[in-house]
Amino acid sequence: MNNLPFIIIALIVICYIISSIRREKLSVSISFAWVLFCIAMLILAIFPYSLDWFAGLLGISYPPALLLIICVAILFVMSFVQDKKIDELEQKITNTTEELNILKAKKNGKK
Amino acid sequence: MDVMKARTIVVIPAYNEAETIGDVIASIKKEIRGADILVVNDCSSDDTELKIRCGGGSVIYINNIHNMGYAMSIQTGIKYAKENDYDYVIQMDADGQHLAAEAKKLLDAAISKKADIVLGSRFKVDTGYKSPFFRRIGTKLFEFLIKIFCNKTIKDPLTGMQVLGRKVVSYYSELGAYPEYPDAGLLIEMIMKKYKIVEVPVKMKQRKTGTSMHDGILSPISYMIRQFYSCVIVFIKFVGRKYE
Repeated sequence: MNNLPFIIIALIVICYIISSIRREKLSVSISFAWVLFCIAMLILAIFPYSLDWFAGLLGISYPPALLLIICVAILFVMSFVQDKKIDELEQKITNTTEELNILKAKKNGKK
Repeated sequence: MDVMKARTIVVIPAYNEAETIGDVIASIKKEIRGADILVVNDCSSDDTELKIRCGGGSVIYINNIHNMGYAMSIQTGIKYAKENDYDYVIQMDADGQHLAAEAKKLLDAAISKKADIVLGSRFKVDTGYKSPFFRRIGTKLFEFLIKIFCNKTIKDPLTGMQVLGRKVVSYYSELGAYPEYPDAGLLIEMIMKKYKIVEVPVKMKQRKTGTSMHDGILSPISYMIRQFYSCVIVFIKFVGRKYE
């Protein structure tokens, strides 16, 4: 089995994610995408020919190219989603700080 | 404990519920005497805030700075309850589906049976309540999951009408990652932690206006997959702990 290392890596990552959740370092909703990712990796490692089949279905003659395309696409989407999330969080923090400052000002005024 | 002596707060998360919130507040005042009312206004863009103010000075309200969603609004309410030392929290929706008279039944059950969580169940006895198709499948699926994971039958695990006792309030308010959908996954966690959970049959009204957060096709499917995942994770989490 040449794919054994990949199977082991995927399993280790899944175990790590679950143990992170158990130690309450990672929330369940965020872990969802990562577990899906690992399961996909497991499937590919156990059945490497599923990639060839899928590439044939899409009319791609060189299957590893498909793997690279999928990986790049996933990373691209992830980085976009994260960027969006960071922006959202930044706005929320700014808003919260402003509100907090106003509250503090009100409190100071009362003294 | 006497019903009148227990300090009770009704927590109502509201997002754009101007049409119904007034009636909901009025009926709670009529039915559940002695209970405080807390409305968590989740950044509504309509007149919800105005309508809450019309409810008079006895209604406490929190205006969220951001739209934080249903679960976080509830957690805000629970934190408030914990801070102000309430004995019971009644969770109700603002859309008029949950009836105050039925909520009173839950509170009575919580006190008489000394339960930690009382769920208002639409399906425990046939109340004629018809829920949307996906909702029904979801209910069945989670009933099944809870049955196999915890060996306990809960007929309506997705209910939003609940009464929480002091211990649960304190536990929920300290959860760092309060789940996005505080339903089945959280229930499994609470069952595994040996909290006493009781189901009481209630009548509910079909919703009149607005849209549910579980409408459409894609949203309930994604909801079910995520909730299923969270049930499995919670299960793994606690089974592992048992053997440690």
